[in-house]
Order: sequence, then C-alpha cells, then structure tokens
Amino acid sequence: MSLPLKTAGRIAWRETRASTAKFLFVVLAVAAGVGALSGVRGFSQSFRATLKEESRTIMAADLTARQFMPPSDEQVSRLNELAAQGVEHTLITETISMASSAMVPIDSEDATPALLSIKAVDPEKYPYYGEVKLDPPISLKEALAPDAIAVAQDVLLRIHVKVGDKLRLGTQQVRVSAVVLSEPDRMSGSMNVGLRAMMSREGFERTGLMQFGSRAAYRYLFRMNAKSPDVEYVRATLKSVLPAALVADFRESNPIITRGLDTSTTFLSLVSLIAMIVGALGVAMAMHAHLQQKMDNIAVMKSLGATSRDVIGIYTVQTLLLGLAGGVLGVAVGRAVQSAFPFLISKYFQLNVQMGWNAGAAFQGVVVGVLTTLLFTVPPLLSIRKVRPALILRRDMPEAKLPWNKRLRDAGPVIVSGVLILAGIGAVAGWLAESPKVGGYFAGGLTVSLILLAIVANVLLRGVRSFLKNPPLRIPMLIRQGLANLYRQGNQAQAILVAMGIGVMFTLTVYLVQHQLVGEIIQSAPPGMPNVFMIGITPDQVEPLRALLKEQKGIEAPPEFAPSVSVRIAAVNGVPLENRDMPGTGRRFRGSRSVMFAKEKPESLAITQGEWWKADETKPVLSIDEEAARNLVAKIGDTIDIEAAGRMVTAQVVATHRVQQMRVGAANEFVFNSPALEGFPATFYGGVRVKSEQVGALERSTYAKFPTITVINVVEALGIMQQVVDQVALVIRFLSGFAILAGAVILAASVAGTRFRRVKEVVILKTLGATRAAAGRIFSVEFLTLGIVAGVMGALLATVFSRLLLLRLLDAKFSFDPLATAVAVIATAVLAQASGWLAGFKILRQKPLEVLRDE
Amino acid sequence: MEEVAILEATGITKTIDTGTHRVEILRGVDVVVPTGQFVAIMGASGSGKSTLLGLLAGLDTLTSGRIVIDGTDITGLDEDELALVRGRKIGFVFQSYQLIPTLTAEENVLLPHELAGGDPRQGLIRARELLTSVGLADRMDHYPVQLSGGEQQRVALARAFMTKPPMLMADEPTGNLDSVNGAHVLELLITLNRREGTTLILVTHDPRLASRADRIITLSDGLVTADELRNAKVSTPA
Repeated sequence: MSLPLKTAGRIAWRETRASTAKFLFVVLAVAAGVGALSGVRGFSQSFRATLKEESRTIMAADLTARQFMPPSDEQVSRLNELAAQGVEHTLITETISMASSAMVPIDSEDATPALLSIKAVDPEKYPYYGEVKLDPPISLKEALAPDAIAVAQDVLLRIHVKVGDKLRLGTQQVRVSAVVLSEPDRMSGSMNVGLRAMMSREGFERTGLMQFGSRAAYRYLFRMNAKSPDVEYVRATLKSVLPAALVADFRESNPIITRGLDTSTTFLSLVSLIAMIVGALGVAMAMHAHLQQKMDNIAVMKSLGATSRDVIGIYTVQTLLLGLAGGVLGVAVGRAVQSAFPFLISKYFQLNVQMGWNAGAAFQGVVVGVLTTLLFTVPPLLSIRKVRPALILRRDMPEAKLPWNKRLRDAGPVIVSGVLILAGIGAVAGWLAESPKVGGYFAGGLTVSLILLAIVANVLLRGVRSFLKNPPLRIPMLIRQGLANLYRQGNQAQAILVAMGIGVMFTLTVYLVQHQLVGEIIQSAPPGMPNVFMIGITPDQVEPLRALLKEQKGIEAPPEFAPSVSVRIAAVNGVPLENRDMPGTGRRFRGSRSVMFAKEKPESLAITQGEWWKADETKPVLSIDEEAARNLVAKIGDTIDIEAAGRMVTAQVVATHRVQQMRVGAANEFVFNSPALEGFPATFYGGVRVKSEQVGALERSTYAKFPTITVINVVEALGIMQQVVDQVALVIRFLSGFAILAGAVILAASVAGTRFRRVKEVVILKTLGATRAAAGRIFSVEFLTLGIVAGVMGALLATVFSRLLLLRLLDAKFSFDPLATAVAVIATAVLAQASGWLAGFKILRQKPLEVLRDE
Repeated sequence: MEEVAILEATGITKTIDTGTHRVEILRGVDVVVPTGQFVAIMGASGSGKSTLLGLLAGLDTLTSGRIVIDGTDITGLDEDELALVRGRKIGFVFQSYQLIPTLTAEENVLLPHELAGGDPRQGLIRARELLTSVGLADRMDHYPVQLSGGEQQRVALARAFMTKPPMLMADEPTGNLDSVNGAHVLELLITLNRREGTTLILVTHDPRLASRADRIITLSDGLVTADELRNAKVSTPA
C-alpha cells in the first residue's frame, strides 16, 4: 500500500516549513534560472507580437522589394502594370555620401566631412503607413523640399550645423530643414553605416550623387487597396519581375528581423538554461545534504513501517514544492529581466515594445524549472532506498567499503539516472530551441563541460588535500582547518566549484572572444594595408584622384584602385540560377553582386586551377574564387551569364583562385577580363594608407575636389561595429551572469545545509579558547579558496575555449588576457566570500555553552 | 591552613527567562577550589550541575554573582576575552568527546596550543608525547571517525592537557563509554592530573567516579546541599 498523495504532501510540507532558511537558498537558485529563461522568452514573444502588430508600420508598406541595382525600363513598366491593378508603389533609394558644413570655408577644420546614410523618398507617397516625426513639427513635404534635407540629431553635432544652415552634399548645397525624430521603417533600412539623413527624390537627383554604378539600395514600397489582387499573387508577380530582390510582405513582418530574433531567442534561451541547470544542481545538492541529515528520520519512518516508495514519495513532493516555489519566484524575476531587455538593445530597435504579461513564457519557465529540479533530484532520492531501518541503532558506524563489483551494482541506478538527466536536458533544450538536433548538441556540450569541470575540480581538490597531508612547511591551524572544511562530509565543494566554474567560464569566454575579436579588427590595418577607403569613384576620377593623393601629406603607401561592376549572375551553362540546385550558401548568388575586372592577375590572388588569361584576350573570360565556384557548382570550362542594365554577356570560366590577402573593394570573388565588362557602368574603390593625424586633412581636400566620393575612415567605421558586438555580448554576459549567481546561491545553500556541524565546531573552538575572529578566519579561508579555485578553473577553461573558438572557428588570433582573468578570479572569490558569509554569519554568534548540551 | 584558591565563585545565580515563565537553575552557589584539588560535582538530572560547570568555565553568563579564575575576575568579560581566558587556564573533557572531525588526532591535540599562539614545533613534540602517554602513539594520523569511542576520549584527554592549564573541567567523561573503556579513561585522567598538577573539576552522577575525588559537592534544585572532603590527599598536590 502506497502512501496517499495527500499524506505525503502534508509530511513534506511540515518538513519544508521546518527548514525554511536552507530551502530559501534552493528556491533562489531555481528562481535565478527560471528568471533568466522566462525573461528572455517573455521579451522575445512581446517583441514578436509588437512586430506583427506593427509590421506594416515597420515596413511603411504592405509589401517591400529591395535590390542593389536600379530597376530596368522593362521592370519599371511591369511595376506600372501592377499599379494599374491597384498595387501602387514608390521607390526609395538609399546610399551613403560625404557631407560637410557649408557655413565655413571648405578647407577649414570645421568643414571636415562626415559620412551620411541618405534615404531619398517621394514625400507625396512615403510612408504608406506610420509617420515621420520631425522637429520642428512641419510636414514631411515641407521638410523635404528639393533644396532641403532632414537629418538625425547626431548629424548636427558631427558637422557643426543647426537647423536652417546649409550642407555641402555632392555638387549642391542643401538646407537643413528639420531633425528627424523617428521614421517608421528605420529597421528596414539597408545602408546604416553613416549618420541618417532624408531627402526628396528630386533633391537627391540634383546632388548628382547617383551616377550609374554607384553603390545604392533600391527599395520599393507597395500599398494595396480593396481592388488589388491577393497578397500571394502580388508577391509572386514581384518575384518574377524583380528576380534579384528580397521581397517581404506584412504577414511575415521583416524576415531579417524575425529570423534574427528567432536565432537570438534560441541562443539566449540555451544560455538561460545553463543558469537553470546550475540552479537545479543546487537543488539536488541541497536535497542530498537534507536527506543526509534526515537519515534518522528516514530510518525511523522505515522502522515504523514506511516503504522506500513512501519516503521517496514524501521527498519527491517536497522537491516539487521547492521547484514550484522557485519557478513562481523566477517568473517574477523574469518580469524584471524582460524589462531590462529593451534597455540593453535600445540602440538598435527604437520600437516601443508592449511589455505584456506573457503567460506562455511564464508557464514555460515554471515547467522547465520544475522539470529540471526533479531531474536533478533523482539520484539523491534514489539513495533513500539504501537507508536501512537498523541505522537508527548503530549510527556513528562508518560504512564498510564494498568490493568494486558490489559498488558498481549500487552505482547502476546513479548511472541510469545520469543518462535520464542528460536525455531530459536534451529534450528540454530541444523543446526550447524547437530543434532536436540543437537539444542533442546542447546536452552533449554541457556534459563535456560538466565532466571537464568536475575532473578539474576533483584534481584541484585532491591537490589541496595532499598538500594538507604533507605540507612542505607547517601551515597555520586556521588555514589548515579552513581548507579541511572543504572535505567536510555534506560539504558540496566539488559541485559548488562546478556550478560557479561553469558560470565564470561562460561569462569570461563571451568576454574574451568579444574583446579579442574587436581588438583584432581594430588592429587589423597592419602596416601597408589601407586605413582609409574611398568609394563611388567614377572611371574618369581615378587619375585626378591619384594625383591629388600624391600631393597629400602623411601618405605611407601609394593608393590602390580597384574597379567594381554591379551585375546579376543570371545563369550557369545557360541554366537560370533559380532553377539550379545549389548547396545552402549558393542561394546568395541569386541577388546582384559586385564583380571586378583586371588585365593582369592581382598580387592578392593565387591561382588554384586553370590559367590566368593573356593580356590580349578578347573573348569574355573570368576566374572564380574557389569557394564561390564550389557553392555555385561551376567548374573550369563552364559559362556564366551576367546581366546589368538590361545587357547580357556570356563569359567562360578559365581559372579558379584563392584570395591571399584582403584588398580594397573585396569584389574579387569574380574577376573578369576587361572585354567581358566593356560598356558596363563601373565604379572604382580606392584605398590608401595615411598617418592617422592626417586623415582629417585628406578627407577635407578630397571632399573639396570630389564631393561625390565617399571617404571612409576605417577606424571610425570599426567603432560602429564594435558598438554592435559590445551590445550583443552585453546581453549574453547579462544572462550567463545568472549562472554565476546560481552558483553563489548554491554555496550559500551548502553552508546553510552544513550549519549544524559548523555550529558544533565553532562551539568547540570557542571552548578551547578561539575568539570569534579566529573562528571567522577559518570560514573565510574556506570560502575564499572555493571562490579562487572556481574562478581559476572557470578562467582556465574560458581561456581554452575562447582560444579554440578564435583560432579554429573564427580564424582570429588569440592572446592571453591577464587583466580579465584576474578580475574574474577576484570577483568570484569576493562573491563566494559574500554568499558564504550571508549564510554563515549566524553560526559565529553561537554561545560556547552548546558544547555541554549533548547532541 | 588555607590554600591559594584557583577558583572562587560567590553568590552564583542563573535564571532563564523563557518569556512565559522564569526558571531559576542556580539559586546562590558559593564554591572555592584550592589549587590541585580534585572536586566532583554530583546531583540528579536537572539539579544544575552542568550549568554550574558552564558558568565556572566562562561558557555562559551569570545572572548574578562573581567568578575569579586564577586571579582573573571573569564576571564582566566579553565573549572573546572569555575565550582567551579559557584558552590559557582551562582544559576540557566532554561526555561526547567533541573532537573536530576534519582534523587528525595529532591536529586535534595541537589545536588549543595553536589557538593560544604557541610555537608549532614545540607544540608538536608535546602533542606526540601526550598521545603516547594515553596509548595512541600509533593513531596520531587517524581522523576521529577512524577511532573508537574510548580512543576518541583519550585524544580529548590529551587535548585537555595540551596547554598545561592550571584547571581541568570534565563533564561526564566516561558517560558514553562501556565500563572497561570508562575505567581506562578515568585512570588516565587521574594519572595525568597527578603528573601535571592540575586542579580537576568533574561533573558526574556516577558515585564510583566521584569516590575517587578529594571532595564531593552535591547540588540539588540549584543549591549546594552537601560539600564533603573525602580524604587526606587535599593538602598533597603532586
């Protein structure tokens, strides 16, 4: 006869109530994990709901189509046909250009130009949905008069102008009419490297910035009305009219944003799951320590006739209660995490996310919390079966060591439950990621990390122990006792080390990778490589520009120029790309792309197959980057059809090459001979290495003579990139920090769990003449050692992992970061000290009289 | 022939206020112990004998009265000051041994010496010598769990004598042991006490144990009801 659930519940509740302090920590550990998890998912779901609700506003249209080539006449006429059916459209052109203040002489310091991302719209039509907010609050039509430009606030700061002043832009001077406070399709923009500015199409054309072949994105906005054909038909039509375009409609909101959101939600969920698992580990440990203390009770219960099943039932109910309490508290924590998110990503999404109470995410958090808690409590619960009623009669007897085959048999259930836990974690991870494969990888990766950490922890602990046994010199008693405390029965040193270690490892790995990567990018203009790039150079500007640069001060290497032609790859061997079966990444060739031409083989390329053409080759031929060739499934002898501005050319592949060093333009995946691209509109990229203090002067003089050429200061551009990487890394660190927190809570729980033994010892020590400070130092040594060892271990593995990641996966350099490592170790030690004392300070206050009270 | 008193307690009372009612555990006890005496404190359960021992050792605070140990008035001292007095003046033996489980026998014996800031090298010599004299020369590296009850209590004995305290307090030192081990521990206690010239205050309810003492103080209901000298050994400290 098994115990009724109600009775089990009552007994469990009584026991839980009797150990509130100890279980408080357990609940907190679970809450940390559930909080991170439900926060991430709650935010993601609110964000998605907002996106869906406002998808038309985010696109400013019902449908959009974006490509990087101007539409051909035929395409324009077919779009007009569509307009006749009730699907009207408006074109937005986005490009980048230099601009400077026209209020000061062009060669003065204040006229140093800045890079603008210019968006040219038709204010009569744009936007179809949402509105552009301006300061002063004038109408968009008024603000975008042909001689005017509306700019973002930071443009005013950078170029030192105010509303009403004039800017030099291209060949014109334009008046700053207003500051753009917000624009609906901000997130859908394409050219976001510069400061934002908006013009009318008419005014934009006057600046002369758009010459044929200039780098620009063309985005069509479409609005449907009641008479329009259905959206599916419109979408299909657009795909056939604009084959190189990315088409999106309001039903899917912005595919780039949602895809990004999905990926990051999955990733962040798994990061949170790690915090969750660390928390569950804490529950298991607390349960283990709790059961050890309850051995007598269990033996009594058993001798009073309770079966193992009854007892397991009681403690399972107790675990459930704890998991549930942690889950519910965690949901409250998650609400706070969720509110922190918009702040963390505010720079990139100026979207007012409606932070609703998300029941789904909350429920998911609680379920995962309870499940993981239960999973991890299986081994300690199973150990209940081993408690014999006779224990009550002979308690202090040490257990005899069993022969190895018996021990192995006893280990059976532990191994089974270990496999069960792994499978369970894999399933939960798979559920969160909506991919069984990811679940498998996660469980596998976690197992490897945990085993690694456990081994390292074990080795370190053994090391300390053997050091204690045979110390090279006498260590003071207080330190020795502090270290000996680590091996106290019921002290979870190894588990604490694993838990805190995994948190440190994760946080530090993210930090190291982020810093090394950004550091490398910033330093990766090695001597001789250009640090200033110029784009939008027309063929007839190349020579005058070269001459101008020759006169500049601070030039360290002669400028390089590389041509670029924007084309669409239409077919391989006559088969249109749409119909070709290409591996995953091959699909990226379906859009338009930049290619270059060269007479002689550039030094930066190495031929891997075939032969470079002779200088007098008149037939159209080309060489393809070997990886592009693989993705495109093209080999030597195949023909490639390219199309630009309505013209089609067929060229033959004569060689494949590998890029040896990155060079200006980077359009070197496809290199044609000049006859192949004859007559196509070309634009040149320039690169020059100049002393950093001379960059401003170079920008000014280039701008004065060639206002349409955009000069990009690499260091400045990298700054923007660094901000993005920093922001992403901040979010990850924020969440992995929860794992460290859970680890600290486990330490506190472990201290609370061994409270009785600690009290007893403090009392003995006091009786023998120890002051409170002396007894306190013992604890400090213990907590400090735990923290330092966990920190060192985490830092060690973080260094190994980030080294692996950087060298193997990211192809970047790795160098040891002593400062970050030291900070991680010290911070962990401080945290361990704090959380240990939080749970332990009461112990010291115990009166020594206790020593006389027997047990 | 008044001897120098190592312990002087006058007018000791101890009252516990449990909130609902007050319990008077000791109601005015005077004890003066001359140096070198072996005193047994006897009494039934609840007579207040363990409380008295706790107060005399400075483990608990008095409600009223005054205690002077070896010339030091401990009545008004704070917790840490009391700990220092205990470390210098008093050795302890308890019913349930009270060894530190994470330290070996040798380290347990060394503990009071190190707490008092003594020289580790000299301490080690004495600790080993004491362990040898209680018959544990081959058990120095063992942890408490690896020792039997009798062996643990012998470690506790060695520890009590470690700092050569002028006074030793024992609370039912044989209470957890069978008669053979109990007798062995008692013999060791008395032998060591003679050798070290320590004043011994022992709380017990075992008349056989008490019969070995120079003096028996009997407590009942918080008051001294009898105080008798047993034999002539009073004036012959070893």
